[in-house]
Amino acid sequence: MVSVFLKNDNIKVKAGVGKTMRQIATASGASMEFGCRVGDCATCIAKIEFGMQLLNQKTEKEIKVLKMLGGDVSGLRLMCQSHIRCEEGEIVVSYIF
Amino acid sequence: MLGNRESLSKNVHFIGVFDPKIRIFDIIMKTANGSSYNSYLVRGSEGVAIMDTVKKEFSSDFFVRLEALCKYEEIKYIVLHHLEPDHSGALIELMSKAPYAKLIISGRAVMMLKGLVKTDIAFEVASTGKTISLGDKTIEFLSTPFLHWPDTMSSYLHEEKILFSGDVFGSHYYDERLYDDEVGDFSYAFKYYYDHIMRPFKHYVLEALKLYAKFEINTIAPLHGPILRSNPQFYIDKYAKWSSEAKFRKHQFGKKMVSVFYMSSYDNTQKMAQKVMQGADKVEGVVASMYDLASLDEQNMIDLLEESDAIIVGSPTINGDAVKPAWDLLSCMAYLESSGKIGAAFGSYGWTGEAPEMLHDRMRWLKFRLPVKPLKIKLIPTEDELMDCVAFGQEVAEITMGKMVEMEI
Ligand SMILES: Cc1cc2nc3c(=O)[nH]c(=O)nc-3n(C[C@H](O)[C@H](O)[C@H](O)COP(=O)(O)O)c2cc1C
Ligand code: FES
Ligand SMILES: [Fe+2]
Ligand SMILES: [Fe+2]
Repeated sequence: MVSVFLKNDNIKVKAGVGKTMRQIATASGASMEFGCRVGDCATCIAKIEFGMQLLNQKTEKEIKVLKMLGGDVSGLRLMCQSHIRCEEGEIVVSYIF
Repeated sequence: MLGNRESLSKNVHFIGVFDPKIRIFDIIMKTANGSSYNSYLVRGSEGVAIMDTVKKEFSSDFFVRLEALCKYEEIKYIVLHHLEPDHSGALIELMSKAPYAKLIISGRAVMMLKGLVKTDIAFEVASTGKTISLGDKTIEFLSTPFLHWPDTMSSYLHEEKILFSGDVFGSHYYDERLYDDEVGDFSYAFKYYYDHIMRPFKHYVLEALKLYAKFEINTIAPLHGPILRSNPQFYIDKYAKWSSEAKFRKHQFGKKMVSVFYMSSYDNTQKMAQKVMQGADKVEGVVASMYDLASLDEQNMIDLLEESDAIIVGSPTINGDAVKPAWDLLSCMAYLESSGKIGAAFGSYGWTGEAPEMLHDRMRWLKFRLPVKPLKIKLIPTEDELMDCVAFGQEVAEITMGKMVEMEI
């Protein structure tokens, strides 16, 4: 299990491979915001403070949307496009909106 | 030109329009005597800037006023402080008439512009610190987002010390005498406008006031109602006070407020509420209270919701739904900032019991944090079930005080 710490809400969720960040947010009652849920609107943008490599690769669309925001976006992810791909480790997330 | 009522100064003119017939604004707001859509013309030695336009149906009045003061060829800039149709309604027509005009909008307005005007328009983006020049006149932009649209910005005309504040400091109040020191008593409309339009964005109001404080302001030129020239600081102070007075209990006593709102016909949900409150109140640093929704009017609801760090709603299930006062309570969140608040729901039920989950879902859409599952109890709660209610209240209160939630999914 990977431990996902949602910093803004002070919630720690243990979740297995394949679990999406959206499932994690919903099940834990986190206040993480979602808009379109398909990677278009950037509402669900979050900073991965730790453990980026435990998540799936950024999708092509995601890379495009993040680029539009400008600046250094290497530590950012769209939560609606992210899921856990590793067995063990720790992820620390802080959301922006 | 001075002495003409429409002139704020030698080079700045009101070219807005009046709407004395309007009674309901944007569905949610009442106005007793109408409103105005203010627009301003700024003349410099090297051209003219138009600050916002008006609602489409009033554009002919607007163009008449504009044409009396300048030629379309002179217009160098059109500034839209936000894109809402009551101020962007004449934009397309104005752009088509003014061949050299450049549109200035905020960065957040870029994505919206397409959705609004449905054609390609050339524009330039402004953020805090950007200036435009009309020769002997300089306009500086300030990013003041979410007041009340995400794309809202303000601007400041240096040479005349005029703040163009957008909808901030507006009033839905119709009076052709135009200036705060000449119109009738519009104080109720000024407050009402704040309560309905700005209050949900208090936090952003305070941020905007910080930016405004960097400038000496002689006149505030808002987009609705009177132009504030007698003592701008008076209105700024009002906004500052209204935006910071929330949570006075927390500021005074350093406590977190957990509020239990309930409604009950046969006292079952009421018994649960009592125990939920007791559980919450056990937690150090928390003041828990309970309120019967049957006797709260809307203004009380809004004030209590605003003060509360956690909001726990109890409703029996009646005909497959939560009771109307519970929905009414949650719809008051439209007037408030919800982000950061914790929510939870409970209730007694007879056979289906969907009310708590429906309330829980609604709170999710309202952006509450919902760390605890809804609690429902069949008909009359047993002693054990009442203990569950205590634990439920306590858990919500502990999380409100910062306890980390740990779970596995
Ligand atoms: C008119 C009416 C309609 C009801 N409809 C439902 C229903 O649709 N689903 C349900 O679970 N219970 C229903 N109930 C049962 C109540 O939820 C149950 O009696 C509950 O314990 C009432 O709680 P209270 O004492 O807090 O009012 C209904 C009760 C009444 C009086
Ligand atoms: S919710 Fe719109 S991008 Fe994720
Ligand atoms: Fe507006
Ligand atoms: Fe407006």
